[in-house]
Amino acid sequence: MRHSAEMKAEIDNRFHLKPVAKLVPLSQIPLNRMVRIEHLEGPREDCDRLLDLGFTPGEEVVITHHAPLGEPVVVRVRGALLALRKREAAWIWVNLV
Amino acid sequence: MRTQLQRDNISSKPSVEPTVCLVGMPNSGKTTLMNAITGGNFKTANYAGVTVSVLRGRSKPDFGPVRNIVDLPGVNSTVNPSPEEELACNVIQGKNPKVNPDAFVLVVDATQLERHLKFAGLVARQRKPTVVALTMTDLLPRRGQVLDPVKLANAIGTPVVPVDARTGKGVAELLRKLDTSGPQDGDNALAQLPTDPIAAYVQIRRLLLTKAVVSRADQEDSVTSRIDRVVLNRHFGFPIFFIVLIALFAAIFWAAQPFMDFIDGAFSQTAEFVSALAPDSFLARFVGEGLIAGIGSVAVFFPQIMILFFLMTLLEDSGYLARGAALVDRPLAYLGLHGRSFVPMLSGFACAIPAVFAARAIPARRERLLTIWILPLMSCSARLPVYALLLAALLQGAAWQAGLSLAAIYISSLLIGALVAGLASRILSKYRTPSLLAMELPVYRAPRWLPILRTTWARGSAYLKRAGMPILIVSAVLWLVSNFGYAPGSVVAPAAIDNSFAAQIGQQLEPLLQPMGVDWRVGVGLISAFAAREVFVSSMAIVFHVESDDEQTQQETLLKTMQSATFAGTSQPIFTTASIAGLIVFFFFSLQCFSTVAVVRKETNSWRLAGLQLFFYTGLGYTLAVGTVQILRALGVA
Repeated sequence: MRHSAEMKAEIDNRFHLKPVAKLVPLSQIPLNRMVRIEHLEGPREDCDRLLDLGFTPGEEVVITHHAPLGEPVVVRVRGALLALRKREAAWIWVNLV
Repeated sequence: MRTQLQRDNISSKPSVEPTVCLVGMPNSGKTTLMNAITGGNFKTANYAGVTVSVLRGRSKPDFGPVRNIVDLPGVNSTVNPSPEEELACNVIQGKNPKVNPDAFVLVVDATQLERHLKFAGLVARQRKPTVVALTMTDLLPRRGQVLDPVKLANAIGTPVVPVDARTGKGVAELLRKLDTSGPQDGDNALAQLPTDPIAAYVQIRRLLLTKAVVSRADQEDSVTSRIDRVVLNRHFGFPIFFIVLIALFAAIFWAAQPFMDFIDGAFSQTAEFVSALAPDSFLARFVGEGLIAGIGSVAVFFPQIMILFFLMTLLEDSGYLARGAALVDRPLAYLGLHGRSFVPMLSGFACAIPAVFAARAIPARRERLLTIWILPLMSCSARLPVYALLLAALLQGAAWQAGLSLAAIYISSLLIGALVAGLASRILSKYRTPSLLAMELPVYRAPRWLPILRTTWARGSAYLKRAGMPILIVSAVLWLVSNFGYAPGSVVAPAAIDNSFAAQIGQQLEPLLQPMGVDWRVGVGLISAFAAREVFVSSMAIVFHVESDDEQTQQETLLKTMQSATFAGTSQPIFTTASIAGLIVFFFFSLQCFSTVAVVRKETNSWRLAGLQLFFYTGLGYTLAVGTVQILRALGVA
């Protein structure tokens, strides 16, 4: 059964359904788009270090630059600029804000 | 008399002075603060098994009672620390037998409070006097932020002193506060910070927000983002990087030349003067030709290395070095190296020794060792005089051809280094766990000249100290070996070079040298080059009996002598196209530098890598040199 956009919004509203957030790895986020970290998924030690550096769930981050060869990407987190390789950025799963 | 005694008593008990440890994250401005507190009067202390510089110094008397100041390595993570971070954590917790801190200065970047305060709990729980030094406050306006240090002090229950290490503002107050503040209250806000990073971050943010410490959170640094838009730009990024590299090379090679000529001249004149004092005395000749000339062979590279250190420190301090590392990280990671490997590789073109030190900046051990592994291939400037002589002999005066060949040698040394790294990282791939880059790009700042000059001097004198001794010893030994021999009746006695131990060793090596197309005299040159490669040129002049007062004509006479040199008892020339090409190949690959071996041993804390490098590269150089000579001969090139 198909619903019109209004009907869908109405249903969402009535049942307090939030639009299901789509998780995307940080490596696929375009420049200057503010995103919120959902969780980290990757090698244990490396993810621990990323947490220590400030990439914690709930934190808002933004990619400010791509290096000329496509990587590393420069991410602003908690006032610092950190260069991450693509594979490292792919461990950070984010929500669009 | 009495005061004299008292003074002696005080100076003989330096342990009475309290030890203050500077702790903080990398890039927090610790070392700049160290500079300001000690007035640049500090030195690098080495800790066994850890390739990390811990700076130790004493506070300037202007700042009240003298204290021992220890600058600990920057800490990013206390949860699973690297060896450097572990050392810092152990010192903080009083577990290191060598340093027992009496008080702490926690160095905190005002623009990154959350990140820099996160591991403060570890410090606060030690219950020792602690003061927060707030750095980079001058950068807050660029972010449109305002920070209230009093509110911050209230929020964290710890005294806070804003410091500007560049002008020295706040440093005196910082040290005064250390005196007046008692031990940390064991249950203030900082001490209660959890060790788990997620929980710690949540708690710090709550603290800073409820006490309204900062006006606005997480803003971008307007100056930095504007510069990065150009420097990391898709089109301009690499051209700018290459311009910086070319400028660096130009400075190392051309700007240093007059200084090098001056030092070279001064040392050779002193050496001649000393030898001439007592021409018949072996002691005078040993001091003159052995020791002074030996020191000269180190000192001649000092201008180059100081310029290199100065420019590197300048680039580091301004913030560009980290961008350069980020730009080249991708190709270097493909070779199994790290973005930061580019600094040691670049330094390697001046000298492998500072390059090995520079490899300390590479965080992961595997990448650091692989970088050190390829450094001997980078065409260091000690090879330059050797190549100049050999290319002149090979090409007989065609200057542009020599220049072109030299450029080709330099570029191939970089390419072959890349090839070796790529192969090694793939052959050893089962040990390979790709490391984490996660490299901080510091904000751009105007260079701070005084700290830069002090750091340059500290690095330069460390180089002289560590490289100087081995070179001096090796050149003294080589002088003795080439000036003494067995006299009839098997007594060790002074001897001309033809009858010296060096000649005997060279003659023993003759079977090895023959396939390379050279005789024992070149062998003596090759052996002496282990002191420093450029010694090859001067020892060739000795073994071929070239004598001239003027260096310019000495080079020409040497070239003529080499061209007419023949194998003993035959008319077969030694220096042919094939044998010279073989020698160039030999110098290209072989690790003919005992100082590098000694420094690699020290940095890796084991003979394994150093010994392996010595035998691998020298063996490779020999094999390829023999191959070159034999193939050229087979092709009909004499």
